Amino acid sequence: MKEMLIILFSAILVDNFVLSKFLGICPFLGVSKNLKTAMGMSMAVIFVMVLATAITWPVFYLLLAPYDLGYLQTVIFILVIAALVQLIETFLKKALPPLYQALGIYLPLITTNCAILGVAILNIDQAYGFGESMINSLGAGLGFMLALFLFSGVRSKVDHADVPRFFKGLPITLVSAALVSIAFFGFKGLIENLFS
Amino acid sequence: MYLIAMSLNLQSILVPTAIGGGIALILGIILVVAARIFALPADEKLEEIRAALPGVNCGACGYSGCDAYAMALRDGEPNAAKCPVGGKETAMELAAILGLSPPSFIPQVAYVFCQGTTDHTSKRYDYQGITSCASAQGLFSGPNSCTFGCMGFGDCVAVCPYDAITISDGIAHINTERCKACGLCVAACPKELIQIIPRHYNAYTVSCRNKWPGAQTRKNCKVGCIGCSRCYKVCPSGAITMDGPLAVIDQNLCTHCNKCLEVCPTHAIQRGLFLGEGPDGKPMRSKKPDDPVSPTPAFGSPAGAN
Repeated sequence: MKEMLIILFSAILVDNFVLSKFLGICPFLGVSKNLKTAMGMSMAVIFVMVLATAITWPVFYLLLAPYDLGYLQTVIFILVIAALVQLIETFLKKALPPLYQALGIYLPLITTNCAILGVAILNIDQAYGFGESMINSLGAGLGFMLALFLFSGVRSKVDHADVPRFFKGLPITLVSAALVSIAFFGFKGLIENLFS
Repeated sequence: MYLIAMSLNLQSILVPTAIGGGIALILGIILVVAARIFALPADEKLEEIRAALPGVNCGACGYSGCDAYAMALRDGEPNAAKCPVGGKETAMELAAILGLSPPSFIPQVAYVFCQGTTDHTSKRYDYQGITSCASAQGLFSGPNSCTFGCMGFGDCVAVCPYDAITISDGIAHINTERCKACGLCVAACPKELIQIIPRHYNAYTVSCRNKWPGAQTRKNCKVGCIGCSRCYKVCPSGAITMDGPLAVIDQNLCTHCNKCLEVCPTHAIQRGLFLGEGPDGKPMRSKKPDDPVSPTPAFGSPAGAN
């Protein structure tokens, strides 16, 4: 249990996908302008990350590993994740229209993002079991959500700040993203003592 | 030995191919089956509306494209005559599909509010940059003596999907036969010289947009509006207003009485729309004084009811 909690919290805080692994920067910068889009995107990321892990872990250990085909994981994972999300989307459209509306355009957008593939591949690299993988993916998604929410707050402050003209727009956004990222490095030493 | 090596190689190629292909095939079948099972009944009405629209996605209706307008119509948008590209036929068709009463539709056309041809204006400097109005505009508002006038580099020509705009004698002309009033050129002109006006073939327009005082206008263009306000005083229907030193004719109020044309000292006021080049190579205008005042009696309400 303690192991699981450590995996969950280190995925959220220490190994935050956006702020310390630098995966999924594109949606991070693209939709952090206001809380509403950030919410939609975060939900889609959590949803797809957990789903992707649930399908890629068995695919790797049942199909690829027995035949020594680990080198195919990138290609096969992309294929499987994309098809799975497409399937889920058709299902949601029919069965749960409100959820489909809430996830909206973000669901297909996030599917081929590096953060999704990243979590699938990292789970295999870390040799996590199925349960651990699921916890790790959930943590990664929650971490993305946390980063996005924090940063959309930072951005709304930056919008009202008196920024030098040549820093306006993306430059100041990247600078503030870097500062938030440095702040997250503070969690590094914290996690080991959190559950002892 | 060689044969064994061959068979090993073959296996190391075939197995990954079979697994990869197998996964892809199974996923493909699942997706097709799922699409069948979870298929939504297609919205026939929406597709019918969408098919009636021209599909240029110009946005002239005020929606982001034909799909968006079709959706708005289905969801209760009452005006079926918002598409200037499709014109009267589309408006009628849409009204029939939606069961609305036939909408009033005023045909429109784009118009260039400038007559500053090369013989009417001069050049302040020799522009040798990129042949684009937007670029020339950035260099002291372009090379023309009149900085409000058409520069003729053809940014509007480039965006026109109907080949309706030609540049001749240094200014843009709009071929009213081809123009669908989609408004893309209006957005493209850095001088804001092009406007969408009702398609009256004997339209009266102050074909000028300069805001200089009269003396400065006279110096720089022979046919510019000098702001003498004679037309403003003579207009019986109040269709002419003075925007600073520039007369502006409200097309919806104009009764085509010809009085302003008679008093205009610089011929900045023009009658008739451009109809392409005539046999002498000069722009031909539809000067039909005996045109009906409202050219749209066959369909909908007369001018003014927008």
